[in-house]
Amino acid sequence: MTPRLLQGSGAIADAAILAGCRFFTGYPMLPFTELLEEMARKLPAAGGVCINAQSEIEAVNMALGAAATGARAATGSCGQGISLMQEGIAELALNQLPLVVFNMARGQQDYFQSTRGGGWGDYRTITLAPKDIPEAVAHTQLLFHLADRYRTPVILYGDYVIAHTSVGIEIEALDFGPLPPKDDWALDGTMSGTGRARQTWTWARGKPNTPGPGPSAAWESIAEKYAAIERSEQRFETYRSEDADILVVSFGTTSVFVDRVVDELREEGLAVGSFRPITLWPFPAEGLAEATHGCAHVLVYELNAGQMVDDVRMYAADRSVIRSIGGVSQDDSGMRQGDLLNADEVRQRVRQAVATPASARQ
Amino acid sequence: MERAVLLTGIGGQGVQLAARTLAVAAVQSDLEVMVFGSYAGLMRGGNTDATIIIGDAPLRSPPTVAWAQAALVMHHEYWSGVRDRLVPGSVVVVDRSVFKGEMGWAGGTAVEIEATGVATEMGNGRGGAMVALGALAAASGLVDLDHLQAAAHEVLPSYRAEHAKANADALAAGFALVADPVALVWLAPARAQ
Repeated sequence: MTPRLLQGSGAIADAAILAGCRFFTGYPMLPFTELLEEMARKLPAAGGVCINAQSEIEAVNMALGAAATGARAATGSCGQGISLMQEGIAELALNQLPLVVFNMARGQQDYFQSTRGGGWGDYRTITLAPKDIPEAVAHTQLLFHLADRYRTPVILYGDYVIAHTSVGIEIEALDFGPLPPKDDWALDGTMSGTGRARQTWTWARGKPNTPGPGPSAAWESIAEKYAAIERSEQRFETYRSEDADILVVSFGTTSVFVDRVVDELREEGLAVGSFRPITLWPFPAEGLAEATHGCAHVLVYELNAGQMVDDVRMYAADRSVIRSIGGVSQDDSGMRQGDLLNADEVRQRVRQAVATPASARQ
Repeated sequence: MERAVLLTGIGGQGVQLAARTLAVAAVQSDLEVMVFGSYAGLMRGGNTDATIIIGDAPLRSPPTVAWAQAALVMHHEYWSGVRDRLVPGSVVVVDRSVFKGEMGWAGGTAVEIEATGVATEMGNGRGGAMVALGALAAASGLVDLDHLQAAAHEVLPSYRAEHAKANADALAAGFALVADPVALVWLAPARAQ
């Protein structure tokens, strides 16, 4: 197969459809808009439905309804629109419904939103942050699998760079193994309002003839599920970190710039490596602890006021060597990262941090 | 080996279409390609830029770069941001029908052509970027004319298909303006330092 030149949004749409997504809805908001347009163009031909909702709140609740029938469903926005979806995402978690949420973010300021969530209740959202389009294609397919496997909403943390960059790419179906059947929970309309009717959630009390476990037991069960996810779904990547004295931690597309700088500084003789959480949640705690062991500098380069650094502080081998070297960086258009998404800036900040005496650190 | 091409102009000149045409031609030439276009909401009259990374192996470069080996310049307004990133030995195609003033650059080979003028004479007044792209391909040795012309058909949506032949002709006209490659992109250094 000859590669095709595809923009990131189009490649993600192809991957979603290849993964079996048959219901997609959203409200236009750059840089998510192109993904919605691509799905609107392509999904009907695959036998699916794409709806341009009237708001993000409407979109997430439409998607919830589709997910409740067992359909592979997805929605998305940028971080601002996903703020409006928080109630729906929490309800999806509570109802144990699978949904893929695409955050085509305008920057890196949605780390807390993705990893902590803004809805109520004890839930988490598995969040994958691809570094480039080929990885976004793989992550999209993996997320549909994970959503079904764990019956939970999941997030792809993309951005303007992934949405708007084009690459020559072949999109191939990935096989992640078998999944449990959906026929014991999906609402199929075949049982009406009798005592046998299915429910997704009414405080887990069930019905008179089929009592449920109750809210506390239901939440305990959900909590156990997220604990299992945390144990088994951590993903990360290291680059030239084996002998690194200086480790730069970054996520998403920023990591491509960091790795370029790692190569350049290695040529200059600096023992630099990088660490990239692929899953923002569950954060790869053990991987980071191992990678940071013995490092004199752990430098966190994220384009926000300091969000992922909280997780790095929790899990690094030595908190005293951690330093934030990124910062808020927004393009004048407001649609994407600004000047700090730049290899020269990364290089300069790494050099400066390494040259700063420990006593002068924050 | 990876090399970068920068394209700059103002909205409406066809910079993004030229970038996509070059990228498709490179894909069809079995090269690895990445394109990052920047145009935000500035569809007409504002800055429009594109960065194309081309390589002969899976790309490791980020989508925006500090150094480039070739450029297509359709307007003087945003030339300085391109100029400062060109390594010694680069090749630049400039549309002199639009570009005003001195280039102030002696770091490589400038191919100055009346791209928009040539396109207008061909009855394709908005095909200046295609003429310039044809010239850039000839001057840099990046891709051949056949792949470029095939790409001109592929990049247009079906409702614009009637313009594909005119664009392919504009590419050929630009290609013909440069007799031989003047600065092979693959021979230029990766970085200035």
